[in-house]
Amino acid sequence: MEKTIICRCEEVSLEDIENTAKKHNCSAREVKLRTRAGMGYCGGRTCRPAVDAVLADVTGEKAGHQVPLKVQPPVRPVTLSVLGGTHHDN
Amino acid sequence: MTTNRILNHPVLGPVENKTPVTFTFDGQTFEGFEGDTIASALLANGIRQLRVHEETGAPRAIYCNIGHCFECRVTVNKHETVRACMTTIQPDMVVESGKMEPAPFNTSPEEWPRTYAEFESKKEGDSNA
Amino acid sequence: MLDVVIIGAGPAGLSAAIACRESNLDVLVIDEFPKPGGRLLGQLHQEPTGEWWNGIKETEALLNKANALNTKIKCGVSCHHIEKTDDGYIIHTNTALIKTKKLLIATGAAETAAPIPGWTLPGVMSIGAAQVMTNVHRVQVGKRGIVVGVNVLSAAIARELQIAGIDLHSMALPVKNTVTKDHAHPGKVMDGLVRIAHLAPSAFLRFGSKFAQSAKVREMAVKLYPSGGVKMWGMPIHIRKAITKINGTNQVESVTMSNVTPEGDIIPGTEEIIKVDFVCIAGGLYPLSELASVAGCPFRHIEELGGHVPVHNERMETPLEGLYVAGNITGIESAKVARAQGIVAGYTIAGDVAKAESAMQDVKAIREAASIQFHPQIKAGRAKIHRAFQEYV
Repeated sequence: MEKTIICRCEEVSLEDIENTAKKHNCSAREVKLRTRAGMGYCGGRTCRPAVDAVLADVTGEKAGHQVPLKVQPPVRPVTLSVLGGTHHDN
Repeated sequence: MTTNRILNHPVLGPVENKTPVTFTFDGQTFEGFEGDTIASALLANGIRQLRVHEETGAPRAIYCNIGHCFECRVTVNKHETVRACMTTIQPDMVVESGKMEPAPFNTSPEEWPRTYAEFESKKEGDSNA
Repeated sequence: MLDVVIIGAGPAGLSAAIACRESNLDVLVIDEFPKPGGRLLGQLHQEPTGEWWNGIKETEALLNKANALNTKIKCGVSCHHIEKTDDGYIIHTNTALIKTKKLLIATGAAETAAPIPGWTLPGVMSIGAAQVMTNVHRVQVGKRGIVVGVNVLSAAIARELQIAGIDLHSMALPVKNTVTKDHAHPGKVMDGLVRIAHLAPSAFLRFGSKFAQSAKVREMAVKLYPSGGVKMWGMPIHIRKAITKINGTNQVESVTMSNVTPEGDIIPGTEEIIKVDFVCIAGGLYPLSELASVAGCPFRHIEELGGHVPVHNERMETPLEGLYVAGNITGIESAKVARAQGIVAGYTIAGDVAKAESAMQDVKAIREAASIQFHPQIKAGRAKIHRAFQEYV
């Protein structure tokens, strides 16, 4: 069976996420740190619900009221010139 | 050049009186319409692939087309990480596709180094780039 | 410092801006897409009355009103962080830091992925991507495609592709895995299909209404589902076939399709290869709430609303002073509901209680009259989030 990629940015497969969650019986956050799923350019906007679904299935971690993979700024990639306040074009 | 355009639409009507805009993608000149995004102008010209995955080299194109997924990121006038689906084409814009980058190690996450010493020792035995 | 900043120039954001401008507030609407309109821009469908809902026209109508009131709208502005201060909010964007007393977040929804092998190939895109390319940019996404994922949204957009003259082979389920499981379960998909049957002509209409009644009959319908699919607008909809793999080297060349059991498990030996040059993935929508999250707004996970939504009340206030939400960020519903919610938010921000109350009644009436419900229990979901708000009063 061919690999199913879950996190497109970091090319993390469903198998990687399932195995990591099983082996360490860990939280969505720990899976993210161990596999990099959700840590790419999109900030998890594409794979976040998928990672949550895998965790609900493997470890029974239910979607709580807080967003499981904590959202942290910047929520979009920014260049250092924007952060430094020197960026003026577009 | 507009082979992939939907010029007539039974409900939305015809596309007409559009101003052409010329830009380059990886050195080749293309023409789109004013108001086109980089992604739509290229797709109208039959170009889908916008980059390759930095590590694996797998070909990529638009996925969400609305700015969320960043799969269409390209380099525009030397600025990196510009979303082709959110950026309108401008005359003489220079667009370049995303290329592969050297990967210091390429294994399963479980084998990734956890310390700098581990990183150095793994790098020795794994020289793919 | 501005009176109000509105993030998102979709139906909710624009109608809120109009309501604020009526009270002469200093308003700025920002959106990261090059054109205002949000997801409304791509929408095109025929109402049960026969009238066309044309997102481009609806957007123009909103923009005409906004422009008549000299509303400032800036496109191409992307927000990456929001800070709460003592007297308002600081919005960090790619162009500038914007200071405002009040902030409305109307960022809409994002698409839920239904990951299957091969879905990173060029030519595979979300169903919403195909909608924007077709109706907004007027570019063909391919010559012949297939839709993976059968739901309210994908059926509507599949129809839009057909109207634009794009050939679709069929709609089918994604292969079952831990992520796609609900979208890959024929029984669950059937329950969803029955809810949109009234939108389709003749054959499917009769099919749907006959089976809509009881769960038992629906179960039977899943078991006896025709192997040629049920046709909607001439296109087969398969709920007993799944796409197991998307094939191709540099782009999509074909998909592999297999028959599945009523539980969605692959029946071995039934594979067939279907030549297509594009694939649309449809996993539904979830509220895009990241900016409300970094601003510090509390959340609730409410299935009926599509996922994590910021806590808010019927007046579109959140527990954070000066922070408001409207549109699909509050739960997945139609653009008409989003537009009506925007009006409520605008009047609330302007402090016009009477008009806000009246606009709240409009939201309810529009919800009642909706021809498509993204979730059948939407009203229960709304009640839950409004109750949650009471905990913060």
